[in-house]
Amino acid sequence: MAVCAAANDSVMRLSRRDRVILFAPAAVLLTGWLILPAVLGLLASLTDYSPFAQAVHLSGLTNYAAVLSDHLFTAAVRNVAVLTMVAVPLELAIGFGLAYLLRGPIWGRGLWRVLLLLPWLVSPIASGVMWHFLLGPTRGILNFALGWIGRPELASPTGDIRLALPTTIAVEIWRVAPLVTFLLLPGFASIPGERWEDATLSGASWMRTALDVVVPALRPLLLAITMLLIGLSLGTFDAVLILTGGGPGTSTVTPALYSYNQAFGANNWPLGAASAWLIAAGVLGAGLVYVGLARSRAS
Amino acid sequence: MIGMRAQRRRDRTVRVLLLVAALGIFVLPLVWTALAALGLQANNSSSPPSFHGPPTLDHFSEVGLAEPSFWQELFTSTAAAACAAVLAVAAALLTAYGLARSRFPGDRLIIQWFLVLASLPAMAYVIPLSDLMRRAHLIDTFAGVVLTEAAVTTPLAIYVLYGALVQLSTEWEEAAWLDGASIFSVLRRVVLPLVGPTLGATAIILFVLDWNLLLVPLVLTAGGLKTVPVAMIDFFTFERELEWPTAAAALIISLLPVAILVAVFHRVLDRFALNVAPAD
Repeated sequence: MAVCAAANDSVMRLSRRDRVILFAPAAVLLTGWLILPAVLGLLASLTDYSPFAQAVHLSGLTNYAAVLSDHLFTAAVRNVAVLTMVAVPLELAIGFGLAYLLRGPIWGRGLWRVLLLLPWLVSPIASGVMWHFLLGPTRGILNFALGWIGRPELASPTGDIRLALPTTIAVEIWRVAPLVTFLLLPGFASIPGERWEDATLSGASWMRTALDVVVPALRPLLLAITMLLIGLSLGTFDAVLILTGGGPGTSTVTPALYSYNQAFGANNWPLGAASAWLIAAGVLGAGLVYVGLARSRAS
Repeated sequence: MIGMRAQRRRDRTVRVLLLVAALGIFVLPLVWTALAALGLQANNSSSPPSFHGPPTLDHFSEVGLAEPSFWQELFTSTAAAACAAVLAVAAALLTAYGLARSRFPGDRLIIQWFLVLASLPAMAYVIPLSDLMRRAHLIDTFAGVVLTEAAVTTPLAIYVLYGALVQLSTEWEEAAWLDGASIFSVLRRVVLPLVGPTLGATAIILFVLDWNLLLVPLVLTAGGLKTVPVAMIDFFTFERELEWPTAAAALIISLLPVAILVAVFHRVLDRFALNVAPAD
């Protein structure tokens, strides 16, 4: 830990004024734009506050009770739970597989990397627009393929109450797995070459190599990526807005969509604030587990 | 040994085949979209399905007809994402440096909480934020969008830059401090040249994230200012649905700036790493 000792010495030289200069800009941005709104949202969710109301009254937990007893919200929680439990592991596995394939020298590696990052560069909303057409009947890629193997034309699976959620999950995996690969590649590069060679010489299968060499070495990185993916998944909003709009029925509604519609659509500010805080609570809960796991590694 | 070489050759073939399959899944949908934008559309009603239409660039100009302010929106998106990325990286560099060169109990935990903050969905705070920004008269302003986009992406930038800074040897900084350099000249002359590539990579990734944000610009604007993702919501309303080739052209235009940026700087992007705990 020579680095830490050196850092310890230089601490002496960071004056109070230096610290203000260093921490003030980010502190203003984060406090003013993230933390203050989040805290005000928490306070507002305990009242009947609305920007358009004349007076504010405390309402205790009634907003939360109303949200939790709304069948639309419970459907949204169930959808996002399925989305998170299916999409996050698959995104990790597929992203890991792609990073594994891109490891080491290969012809045109830079080109492969850029091409395999492209889906993540598409915004969730643009991805929704794109798949809306690609899954549609007349011009889409799905029916083109089905037509060649002689299947009859299918209506878009996004309009089918049983297929809408699996389709949304598949589209999200298409968009996010490339990000996992991108984030894993620097980690793969940091694994010493001898470890690969040892595994190869001992005749380990690629599966054994992945589990015994790569996963232990990349544990902190995999944890960090999982945290980001869980946050992304629990906040799913733009990925369903155009693709399915939350339907058909309640089959793809998400808590973020619910919360947005309550606050800005139905003008029911208190329910919007309360349901938004339930999303935040979910992510902060995952964050507690994440920080605990990250610490158990560090110590 | 020969067996091993054959094994290696087989491995390499399998690897290339799998990569080609991955390319089919991940890139073919985008190629399909690009072809439609160029006038080459699938016709699934014929049997077997076929492609038709002469190649044309007309669909790109149709975007401007279907959405008259599209080019203005493209400019707004670019300017806002660029300003926000620069602002966020600058603020994050200062804080990451301060954290990396301070020792206090739980410093490693604090930095992990920045990752949690980076994972927090925008929905968790945009409802009250829209109210605050309205009261501060920042709704529908460029400054409002830029400041918010910067704030949203700052935690991730702090996390990545801290990871890079904490692994630097502090020898050069020590020397500069001994020479009586100020904090700014230490940052500019010593730290910046060492973490320049990481800083650039972070700025590019932040630009992509800002460029694709929807919820933030959506709730902070009321029609006076629009980014491309916000405009795309209007492609499908009850009154109209955009034709596929026109929508495809708009998609390709919205993808091109970030795709070019990433393609040009892909070597530098290696430096964007979430490695706070150095690999042992």
